[in-house]
Amino acid sequence: MSDAGSRPRLKLGGHLVPGLAAVALFAVLAAVFLRASFGEAAGFEEGASITASIGYAMFNVDTGAVSGAVVPAEGFVVAFVLIAVVLDVAIDGAVFLAKRDEGEGGGGVLADGGREIRDRLRGGDD
Amino acid sequence: MAGLFDYTPAVVLLPFLSFLIAVGVAISGRDLLPKGGAVPGIAATAGSFLLSVALAVAVAGGEVYNETVYAWAGGAVPGTEGLELTFGVLIDPLSALMLVIVTLVALLVHVFSLGYMNDEGETGLPRYYAGLGLFTASMLGFVVADNLLMAFVFFELVGLCSYLLIGFHFREPGPPSAAKKAFLVTRFGDYFFLVGVVAVLATFGTGQFAGPESFPVFAEEALHGEHAVNTFLGLGEETWFTVVGLLVLGGVIGKSAQFPLQTWLPDAMEGPTPVSALIHAATMVAAGVYLVARMYGFYAVSPTALGVIALVGGFTALFAGTMGIVKRELKQVLAYSTISQYGYMMLALGAGGYVAATFHLLTHAFFKALLFLGAGSVIIAMHHNENMWDMGGLKGRMPVTYYSFLAGSLALAGIFPFAGFWSKDEILYETLVHGLGGQPLLLVGYVFGLLAVPVTAFYTFRMVFLTFHGDARTEQASSPEPVGWNVKGPLAVLGVLAAGAGVVNLAPVRVLTGAHVDFLHGWLDAGFAELTVHHYEEIDPYSSAYIGGEATTVLVGAAVSLGLALLGLALAYKLYAVPTPTEHTAKLGSVRDLLYDNYYQDEYQVFLARRVVLPLARAADTFDRSVVDGAVDATSSVSLFSGSRIRRIQTGVVSNYAALLTLGLTVLLVLFGVLGGWLL
Amino acid sequence: MVPAQYYLVLSAAIFCIGVFGLLTRRNALLFLMSVELMLNAANVNLVAFSLYWGNVTGQTFSLFTMALAAAEVAVGIGIILVLYRNFKDVDVTEATTMRW
Repeated sequence: MSDAGSRPRLKLGGHLVPGLAAVALFAVLAAVFLRASFGEAAGFEEGASITASIGYAMFNVDTGAVSGAVVPAEGFVVAFVLIAVVLDVAIDGAVFLAKRDEGEGGGGVLADGGREIRDRLRGGDD
Repeated sequence: MAGLFDYTPAVVLLPFLSFLIAVGVAISGRDLLPKGGAVPGIAATAGSFLLSVALAVAVAGGEVYNETVYAWAGGAVPGTEGLELTFGVLIDPLSALMLVIVTLVALLVHVFSLGYMNDEGETGLPRYYAGLGLFTASMLGFVVADNLLMAFVFFELVGLCSYLLIGFHFREPGPPSAAKKAFLVTRFGDYFFLVGVVAVLATFGTGQFAGPESFPVFAEEALHGEHAVNTFLGLGEETWFTVVGLLVLGGVIGKSAQFPLQTWLPDAMEGPTPVSALIHAATMVAAGVYLVARMYGFYAVSPTALGVIALVGGFTALFAGTMGIVKRELKQVLAYSTISQYGYMMLALGAGGYVAATFHLLTHAFFKALLFLGAGSVIIAMHHNENMWDMGGLKGRMPVTYYSFLAGSLALAGIFPFAGFWSKDEILYETLVHGLGGQPLLLVGYVFGLLAVPVTAFYTFRMVFLTFHGDARTEQASSPEPVGWNVKGPLAVLGVLAAGAGVVNLAPVRVLTGAHVDFLHGWLDAGFAELTVHHYEEIDPYSSAYIGGEATTVLVGAAVSLGLALLGLALAYKLYAVPTPTEHTAKLGSVRDLLYDNYYQDEYQVFLARRVVLPLARAADTFDRSVVDGAVDATSSVSLFSGSRIRRIQTGVVSNYAALLTLGLTVLLVLFGVLGGWLL
Repeated sequence: MVPAQYYLVLSAAIFCIGVFGLLTRRNALLFLMSVELMLNAANVNLVAFSLYWGNVTGQTFSLFTMALAAAEVAVGIGIILVLYRNFKDVDVTEATTMRW
């Protein structure tokens, strides 16, 4: 037990109690799913290329003009563009959040629940 | 001429316009108008007067008008055709006559105000003329009202204006208090009126005065079983109608200053004298009597209500008269005489003398306006000293005022052949013949009215002799301030009318000679069939009987009342028409204090307010604070307490929130499962 | 073919493991990982039903979910940085200033 601090190990204890909620949720979900009856899955057409079909769906390619079997889907080009924008914004946001404050209160985000301002006003912790 | 009636609302709107102009000027704070706003007021009332005369001419030609102008609220009522609340115009002989009276008196009062207010250098004149304009407009709106609710609205406006004008000199201690008293006392009566209005609407589903769909007609038909109405409290139809009639009468008693709500009127003398003239002659006090006359068809089917009206009126006539005989101030005497005279009108209405009451309303408007304006003239001359014991000998120094005032006094006292004699005599005659026709109650009213005649004559001429005759008792009286044309003009006009207005209804002459000279009777017998005199005579419960023939009764009645009036006059002459009159009130002994203190009316009303109403209000206040507020506070404290506890789940730890979400979702799923039939 | 129930139970299991981590861990980085698990549980469902209906819409959508997860991680890391800067720790139970 000399290297107990450096090795990952299962920690049991009172902090796992909230996890019982997750277990309960799983029990309920499993009960629901196992009681439900689904019909036979339709499956994909024999010989169809899934990857190619995803590509066509992603960019709204007219599948009528494509040779070979194609799995049907809706067009997603708008969603594609939107997700591109979202990713861009997310990156910008991450950079913005990660940037260090340039001095006291200059720039950055006061994402501390107003603690800094409160401390500044009251001059101390409660 | 149908086009003329379309302009009827203008009669009301013209004074209202002058009110708006005066208010606008008052707000602007600059002296934009010459004469402080009097000119628009005079122009507006003159326009209204001319239009009213034109309307009266049209009505004389046999035309009448009853139109709804504007429906401001409507709704479906289960089981009926629905209820509409409207403003409308009803022009029939009665309202046309009243319009002429009101606009004429208002016009003369406006002109007189030039002398009384402007020339005396009063401040706040735009406010004064705004009040006069609104007062006139409200009263005219009340007169032309075609339904009870509209009448109520304008009735209240009249009350508001009286408050504004009585309290005109609001920086002095008396007027604001008097204004509040007038407002509260009349409001006490109006409370019953409001309940009555609601009762009428609930009973008949309409508040119309005229037409086949009007509530007096419905009431009459209901008593014959031809029309179904809603009655309440498990009362029969006739009893219920009496209750409703008496409720409405509450407002009438308050406004027309009848016993026991007359206490506000003498205090209202604190207002400027032209305002007193307007209130007493044409607007506020007349509104009550006019309302009874307007819905006379409804009262006529209820003998009990008529009896109450007659007794209240007769009693008030005598009661107020006795208080008038000891007063020292000129306007106080006139105030009590007003109460007394309106008592006569109520007596006439209660006794089935619809024409007599209207006639007295007409003549009284002229001679009382005259007396008040005359008093105003005297007050100007005396530098606003109203004590009659400081006057004397003004006869030779202000002849126009004296002779017109004398004409008004003779009319008030009921001396032949002045206007008041004819109208008062007709009231007493109607009461007598209907009383002889098997109504002992009316005979009681007749005795009251008859006893009030010498009292009236006495105090009237006590006032005249003290003011104008004998030697001047103060310096002011020996050198009175001269008054201008704007005071003398209205006095002269009204003096002629007070002397001669009786010719419109010389009923005794008709009885004696057979000549059709009772013009007013014929005038009021035209128009809408259900609003005519002979219709009222058909439905009222009275029949006539005579002392040895109609002519004899007329002569006996006239002789008795004239004799009594002359008796009062002679007594006043003997006591006060001497060079240096002295107070004779000491001879009355203990009665004197009783009369000075107005039979302790104010005292007992204050006692009622302090000892009965105030503890009641306190109890209600305590109940409100402890029980009602307690319940509300308890409810809110539950919220506060549970809120302060439940907010603890907002720990700020995200893991807790996530746990709650998870648990919530689980519980929800289980719930749906159970509802969906898992356990079944 | 594998019946749809198995996919669903698998996805529920993954999702609940994610929730379990969320509820029992205090390290913000582990939070991110747990959330990632939950998102991918959803992906499993999408792909499973794509096969079930014979339609690649679900599969396409799962790609978008991955992109969304990337965005979420980018923002999440930024938030964790700020958290660390303000509280000198990445323990989420420390940051409790937004409470009653």
